Amino acid sequence: MIRLSRPWGGPCDETLRRVHLPRLFRGIDGWARHSTTFMTITKSSGKARRRGRPKASKAPPRRKGRERPHVLREHRRSPDLSDTRGRMDSAPSRRTLQAAARAKAPLGPYGGAPRPLHILMVGWEFPPNHTGGLGVHCFELCQELTHLGHRVTFLSPFVGPFTPVAGVTFRHPGEKSGGTATEFPPAYWAGGTADSPFSDSIDGYNAWITGLKTTDPFDVIHVHDWFGTVGASALASRLNLPLVQTIHSTEYDRSLGHPWDHILHREELGILAATRVVAVSRHLRQQLIDRYHAEPAKVRVIYNAVRPSERLERIDPEKRIVLYVGRLAAMKGVDTFLRAAARVVPSFSDVLFVIAGEGPEYERLIQLAATLGIGDRVMFLGKVTEEEREVLLSGSSVFVLPSVVEPFGIAALEAMAAGVPTIVSKTSGVAEMSRGTTFRVDFWDVEEFASRVSELLEYPTLRQTMGDQGRWAALREGWPERARETLVVYLDAMRVAGVRP
Amino acid sequence: MLYLHLHQPWRLARFRFLDLGSGKPYFDIDRNLSIFKGIAQRSYRPALDRLRKALDEYPEFRFSLSITGTFLEQARLAAPDVIDRLRSLYQTGKVALLAETYYHSLAFLVPPPELSEEVALHRDMLAKEFGAHAKVLRMTELAYSDDLARFAEAERFRGMLAEGWEGVLRGEPATYPYCAAPAPTVSLLLRHYPLSDDVGFRFSSTGWNEFPLTADKYARWLASTPGEIVGLFMDFETFGEHHQARTGILEFLSALPGEVRRHPHVGWATVEDAIELPPRAPLSVPYTMSWADQNRDLGAWLGNDLQRSAFEAAKKVGVVARRCGDEAILTDWRKLLTSDHFYYMYVSGHGADQGVHEYFSSYESPYDAYANYMNALTDLRRRALDKLGVPILK
Repeated sequence: MIRLSRPWGGPCDETLRRVHLPRLFRGIDGWARHSTTFMTITKSSGKARRRGRPKASKAPPRRKGRERPHVLREHRRSPDLSDTRGRMDSAPSRRTLQAAARAKAPLGPYGGAPRPLHILMVGWEFPPNHTGGLGVHCFELCQELTHLGHRVTFLSPFVGPFTPVAGVTFRHPGEKSGGTATEFPPAYWAGGTADSPFSDSIDGYNAWITGLKTTDPFDVIHVHDWFGTVGASALASRLNLPLVQTIHSTEYDRSLGHPWDHILHREELGILAATRVVAVSRHLRQQLIDRYHAEPAKVRVIYNAVRPSERLERIDPEKRIVLYVGRLAAMKGVDTFLRAAARVVPSFSDVLFVIAGEGPEYERLIQLAATLGIGDRVMFLGKVTEEEREVLLSGSSVFVLPSVVEPFGIAALEAMAAGVPTIVSKTSGVAEMSRGTTFRVDFWDVEEFASRVSELLEYPTLRQTMGDQGRWAALREGWPERARETLVVYLDAMRVAGVRP
Repeated sequence: MLYLHLHQPWRLARFRFLDLGSGKPYFDIDRNLSIFKGIAQRSYRPALDRLRKALDEYPEFRFSLSITGTFLEQARLAAPDVIDRLRSLYQTGKVALLAETYYHSLAFLVPPPELSEEVALHRDMLAKEFGAHAKVLRMTELAYSDDLARFAEAERFRGMLAEGWEGVLRGEPATYPYCAAPAPTVSLLLRHYPLSDDVGFRFSSTGWNEFPLTADKYARWLASTPGEIVGLFMDFETFGEHHQARTGILEFLSALPGEVRRHPHVGWATVEDAIELPPRAPLSVPYTMSWADQNRDLGAWLGNDLQRSAFEAAKKVGVVARRCGDEAILTDWRKLLTSDHFYYMYVSGHGADQGVHEYFSSYESPYDAYANYMNALTDLRRRALDKLGVPILK
């Protein structure tokens, strides 16, 4: 199911959260020591990783009446792979580890290329309007390539807007006439119905690519997944350019074994026409060889990645974190948080108080931290992204919500759900529903806040049990329950108003 | 055989982490005493008066009491008249007093000689306050095991109380006296938990299909129960506190001896009468059994990580508390060993038991209980180490 909804073959939400996000921290080992959540994460990711070479699946039975190239099976020690020596796969093997060591060496101004290249990238969606990882992949790739001094022209069927990247030109069908192609559904519904007009739109996109009017001296065409393979391969042969095809996932997987033929054909075409094929994992590479009869010598593996968060890297991984996430407004009681911090730090040398958020009180609070003499023990992160917040939560020892006024305080509930023991002010709405699973403190009681934080830092059993129970309590009831409760209110209102349901 | 247990723990004051080393007392005396005064008003005085009246009215009526040291300490400060009432009850000669640990503590899980010292403290207390010499031992929370029976034998007790739990009776009825398998001189008197809980837990429960429980109905049940002896063991606070006076529990208590009298084959006995009966069979209990919760084990006190970690920490502190030779520190430590502190740290998803635990807890959550307890314990450890001249690392 996950695969169906995430066709780019990149990390699904779960993997992203469990495996990749922790890597945002450099010193992950240091974190693992402090956070049991982290320990389970690294353990599970380790378990998930395949050991040894992936099993080669059997070649599918040949279909009648179809010309298929000879089934090529990769042989690890086959001598005809001599041309792959020194390839730059990101999949680690003994050979590629050596290559990677070489790759770490300075690569020169263009990342190893002799001159700046102009890349024509045939894509699909692009941030900010993206629904999944394909867009992110293209965005990050464009950013890094242009950073190395190359130029990218990015083709998309959508009008945009696109997050501007210096050195990247965006083009889309109807760009001259100002026409739009917004009827294109997002990537993930593509191919859902074979006879939908969408199939025509895809043809329209490909036709536009095939006849792309350009004077740019492109060096290489790079097409992602199946959307633009027809056009890209035609264009490549017209302009006599090498074609690189990246496969993020295959139609076989997306459809759980019931592929749409027209999509399958487009994938096969791209793989056949491409000079080099990139797969996002070794497993996928083997699939391309087995099922799509890709020539093993031309398939490379390049893993997906995540962008390290510079903000979070500033946090010393050896420190335990006491976290506040929220706006920096007077009603949020961050004063109390800082004053409590000042009472805690003398007893714990390995604790860092992290404040994630922005707001009108920002400067005054920094001032206050300095006045309290804990400037070096408090870190103001500013506004954090969703991903950063998740990483922060999973790496925190204690979460504090010291609000003076807080109608609900969903941040505390999120912290509980992440298994972080939570201290809330009695005036917050979340305190009502978390009785018995959080520490509830009067918002003005600095001493009590400081004591609660210290107790959680001091007693690991308390931290563990409270985290586990809090997680259970927070996840026991979710939005489905809330929606049902809301429904009851609707029905009640209808009854009062005399509307028959 | 009616046996009532009188106990009040020394509840901890909020002892913050920042209070470590401040010399603040661990126990909130005012709060404990005000709680005690309330319960004395609602339960101890009226129920003791009714029991006294029943003893006068019905010459065959007899029962047994156990009184913890912490109860007596608080009674002395909050309601000395309760002690007078107890004393006058004992002087009728129809009331037996039981021995137990002075602090109602988990001392039986701590390496010796803690248990025998606490039992000796309690014996001294009984002798001094009531001039009593207890023949029967009742361990904290009705804990019982073969090891405890051996202990009772070594301490020259003639009987012990235990839960009449099917798990160890293996089909035998709980309504006979037994003897301990490893120590045959120790009689075992078992609690008849269905009939005990009918009063202890279910009396005021309107959802119960036998509600309301009247004295004559209950007397009929008692009379129709086969066997020699029915152990009705419960908290004294059942009468007037757990079930408030408006539920009619006190009237029930007054009326019961009269109703029982209508059944000529039923009489009353103290535990000291009961141990004179010949035992039906030896009973072996290889693990520690208690009267709490649905599992009848020590899960209510040492069931979760919080409780176990707190108890392990307490055991370790016990070593230094004993070694430092300071009486005040040892006393504080013993008060911290009172089982109630661990009871407050109970975390469970079991609906039925959780309700009971929350009712008895003086904290908002088990985490409050744990944090507070650990702070006090840490402070005590520092005091003891300080006394011993050991430098404190943190």
